[in-house]
Amino acid sequence: MGRSPKLLALGAAFALALSACASGGSSAADSDSGSDEENNNSESTSTSGGSVLADVIANDVVTCGTRDALPGFAVLQADGTHEGFDNDFCRAIAAAVLGDAEKVEFKDLETDDRFTALQSGEVDVLVRNTTWTASRDGSEGATFLAPNFYDGQGMMVAVESNFNSLEDMDGTTVCVASGTTTEGNVSSEFERLGLTVDVLSFENTDLIQEAFQAGRCDGWSSDVSQLAGLRTSFLNGEDSLKILPGVFSKEPLAPAVRDGDSEWAQVVNWAVFATIQAEEFGIDSSNVDGMLESDNPLIQTFLGVEVDGTALDPGLGLPVDANYQVVKQVGNYGEIYEQHIKPLGLERGQNSQWQDGGLLYAPPYR
Amino acid sequence: MNSSEKTPFWRNVAVLRWAFQLAIVAVVGVIIAILVNNLLVNSSSQGIPLGFGFLSQPASFPITANDFRDTQPVWQAMYEGVLNTLRVVLVGFVLATVFGVLIGLGRLSGNWLIRTISTVYIEIVRNVPLLLIVIFAYLGLVLEVFPRIEDSWDLAGTIIVNGRGFSIPWITGPFVGLLAAVVLSIAAGLAVRRWRLRVAESKDESAYVVPWMAAAMVAVLFWVGFFAGLGFSSPSIDGRNVVGGMTMQPEYFALLFALVTYTASHIAEIVRGSVQSVAKGQVEASQAMALNGWQRMRYVIFPQALRVAIPPLGNQYLNLMKNSSLGFAVSYFELTKVVTTSVGTRSPAVPAFLVLMIIYLIMSLTISALVNIANRKMEVVGR
Amino acid sequence: MMIWLRKNLFRSVGDSLVTVIAGSLSLYVLFRIVRFVAVTGRWQVVETNLALLVNGAWPTDEIGRLSATIVLLGFLGGVASAVAGLVTSDVDSEPPTLFQKALDLAIRLWPLALIVGLVLLLSTTTGPLLLTVGVVGAVTVGRLLGGLLPGRVRPVVIVVALFGALASIWFMSFGHSWDDWGGILVNFFLAAISISLCFPIGVILALGRRSEFPILRMLSTVFIELFRGVPLIALLLMAKNTLGFFVPQEFTPGAAVRAIVVFVLFTSAYVAEIVRGGLQSVPKGQIEAARANGLTPIPTTFRIVLPQALRNVIPALVGQFISLFKDTTLAGVALGFLDLLEGGQAITQQAEFRGQGLVIETLAFVGLLFWAGSYTMSRESQRLESKLGVGSR
Repeated sequence: MGRSPKLLALGAAFALALSACASGGSSAADSDSGSDEENNNSESTSTSGGSVLADVIANDVVTCGTRDALPGFAVLQADGTHEGFDNDFCRAIAAAVLGDAEKVEFKDLETDDRFTALQSGEVDVLVRNTTWTASRDGSEGATFLAPNFYDGQGMMVAVESNFNSLEDMDGTTVCVASGTTTEGNVSSEFERLGLTVDVLSFENTDLIQEAFQAGRCDGWSSDVSQLAGLRTSFLNGEDSLKILPGVFSKEPLAPAVRDGDSEWAQVVNWAVFATIQAEEFGIDSSNVDGMLESDNPLIQTFLGVEVDGTALDPGLGLPVDANYQVVKQVGNYGEIYEQHIKPLGLERGQNSQWQDGGLLYAPPYR
Repeated sequence: MNSSEKTPFWRNVAVLRWAFQLAIVAVVGVIIAILVNNLLVNSSSQGIPLGFGFLSQPASFPITANDFRDTQPVWQAMYEGVLNTLRVVLVGFVLATVFGVLIGLGRLSGNWLIRTISTVYIEIVRNVPLLLIVIFAYLGLVLEVFPRIEDSWDLAGTIIVNGRGFSIPWITGPFVGLLAAVVLSIAAGLAVRRWRLRVAESKDESAYVVPWMAAAMVAVLFWVGFFAGLGFSSPSIDGRNVVGGMTMQPEYFALLFALVTYTASHIAEIVRGSVQSVAKGQVEASQAMALNGWQRMRYVIFPQALRVAIPPLGNQYLNLMKNSSLGFAVSYFELTKVVTTSVGTRSPAVPAFLVLMIIYLIMSLTISALVNIANRKMEVVGR
Repeated sequence: MMIWLRKNLFRSVGDSLVTVIAGSLSLYVLFRIVRFVAVTGRWQVVETNLALLVNGAWPTDEIGRLSATIVLLGFLGGVASAVAGLVTSDVDSEPPTLFQKALDLAIRLWPLALIVGLVLLLSTTTGPLLLTVGVVGAVTVGRLLGGLLPGRVRPVVIVVALFGALASIWFMSFGHSWDDWGGILVNFFLAAISISLCFPIGVILALGRRSEFPILRMLSTVFIELFRGVPLIALLLMAKNTLGFFVPQEFTPGAAVRAIVVFVLFTSAYVAEIVRGGLQSVPKGQIEAARANGLTPIPTTFRIVLPQALRNVIPALVGQFISLFKDTTLAGVALGFLDLLEGGQAITQQAEFRGQGLVIETLAFVGLLFWAGSYTMSRESQRLESKLGVGSR
């Protein structure tokens, strides 16, 4: 296996990027896009192409960065399997690219090493509850894609406390996880409301839990979806802890890939869109086989059914039946949500289809 | 002039010595060059900047129990981190020395029980990891044993202890006033001491230096303090917070507690060793001169023991300063915690940690320099 | 008896007062401790997670490899201690009787025996018992064999034992990657590997700092002061966050390698200072005599100065090993090893034990394990110190 050719290719890509920048023209990634066809066919030698897609196909596995203990999103089961919302999106990617949702290798990453793992190529894609922000997009060497979950930061307090909104919490102490967007959000929000707050940030969730339980802090702030998940891991948490209504930040949680690989980025993007589009069409894992007989041309195109002897290949580098495999093996967005997020007690809200007033909107598949 | 007798350069010792040294410099240089080259390649391929521009970027994180706002630049966050480090280190120096000396003397006590207790304390604390003590002080002591704020331990309104912190009465008023009061009080004390010593010499009567000094210092302290607008405030509970007095936040208290406990056990051993190092003849001679126990300690043993103790004591102070970085483990925002949080938020790792190393090196070298000065002074006095 | 009491507890009124107050206080504390250990302490969490605290999440089907390595290490340790014992033993004193020997051993090793007993008491399977028997047997056999070796091969034996130990640890890693090791195993492993690797570097630095070459002296001094002036945890965090930048991307090192790199660099600076002290303790006359006998500088250093210097610094090296052993807990918090301390914290967060305030119990147990290890080692090093007569010459 050519280690050094890869390095050379990297250097070459970098040189290209430099020259592209110097001429103020198109990006370096564009110069790669002509090689789609070859990459699909070639085997191990294709590493020199530089696209993750080729590597994934060659290795026949998608390496996906998630975490091991976030209820609802990604939980490492006792038998070593991963269950959760984020894990299912990893499976959707594998189903789309390789036609088999089980060809995923999960890597459990910590908050502060997730981007390093992506940069170093340890993982192909990061689906790890990560908020898309400008500075992460800009300076972590990552490219964020279409969000798979729209979240917002909220506040969890003890039921017996008499806090019913943030306005009641003047002069309190709030615990957050460090190295996240949450710590800055809390102080900005309290400042906006004209209140004072003391923010206590910890490296790991265990310590926050200890501190919160011991009454060191009055509130625990994080993304609402995380709070809902964490609440379930407390001793009778549903009854003793409440999440205050309202959110005070935008937290679009999006998959991320390495910078400069637009081919792989498109593949991941369209795997996510497949789940959303399927729900919009009313296709789910139970009726997808029946839907193959549908006479709606849009659905036929989406599922890759041959009409008049041809099926649409949009040229994303995916098999023609990619969408079918995603829906068949993993399910549509609604199914994934029902299975993993609903049990936490979270309603669809922003994460509804656009027709229902939500933010889920897949571009047309044509 | 006779070239045939001249040593060829490859056997010329001076040339060989320089060649050897240059070779070593070359090897070290090549290693450093490889590392730096890797750094440049890696950071440019990952689009990560290497400059120090991040220092003036907004920090994006708040600091606990501090007015620092997340919109202030990173360098100010680091400055607050240094202040927090100094806060725990300087208080730690004083408390660890006091407890260390007490325990060290306890080990030399004639009382078997005191001796045993001191020995057990030293042997236990010295042989467990400091990190364990830090975590125990935080998770075990502060979070588990200290009560919730609703049922705080309240020692007659002077000391209030709960999961939100350890509160003690404290001086209020302008800092300049406090400084003036302390400086003037010390000056007054020294003046009175001189006066009493002169009186004692001229009139040949007891000097009573210490009572006189204490009285003068207390009087000046209160008098200046009153006019400088200094006051005294006791802590009290107001809703879910402690107001008044001075509250040590739990993370600070846990770190300080652990550092003092640990360092005191090491200082105690130094104290014991240095007192025992004072030659037996000295003690016997002072007994022969009919000095009482206090005088023997103050004029004979202490000055000689101190000279032996200063270098290892300096080492312990240096260790205490470095160990304050364990505040990281309990989320006390000292320098290390600030830098790691900053790296986790946005700052590039390599330059940020470079700054961290440089700040620590400056602090270490300062302490070493102070210890060296003290050491030299003691040597001169001793001779 | 009465005289002893008078002399040691009740010499004067003040003394008696102190005795009474301190006595009642310590009795109360003692009572609380005994009650905690025997009555109020909830030790279920330790009992359930005993294996996790000792060897981490070591896979069950690889336990055989682990046990074999530990027994082998015990054997090598026995040989090495016998050889070292011969080096330091007094020729004059008459050999002790077997009873004296056993008593001596019991007094010296009771903390270790205590924790081994405790672990055996808490464990539910026979594995740990068999392993203990195996290790004790291996150490004994090693000691006996080591005693039979002729004097000339001793340095060779020490080197072979050292490499054997490193090789067996390497062999161990086939079963379970270093990065996933846990429990007290990881503390001991990190400390042992690092002290063996840093020793040569430390000696070179010490020689460099005392050499007559100005550049060499400067480089060594800068290195030593650099690593002595910065906190270990800051270095570990730095290794975690930045070490990847200094190596080609293909070789991104794992957590264990990062930890070892930092411990080796950090400890070698301290070892250098220890060895420098040892070098200074060698009388100048020795060097002059060697030179007068026609030895050139290099043989003087390696055959005359270093052997004497190193002999004098053995106790200080043991002390350094002890503090390294304790400092390995920092790797847990900085690099995410589930070492004894981090593991101890983690088990209180398991679903069945969470939120019950079991931190005190687990930390007490963890602390006892660390204490027994380093207390025994530090007493052994003191014994060695008095045997070698360091400082008394």
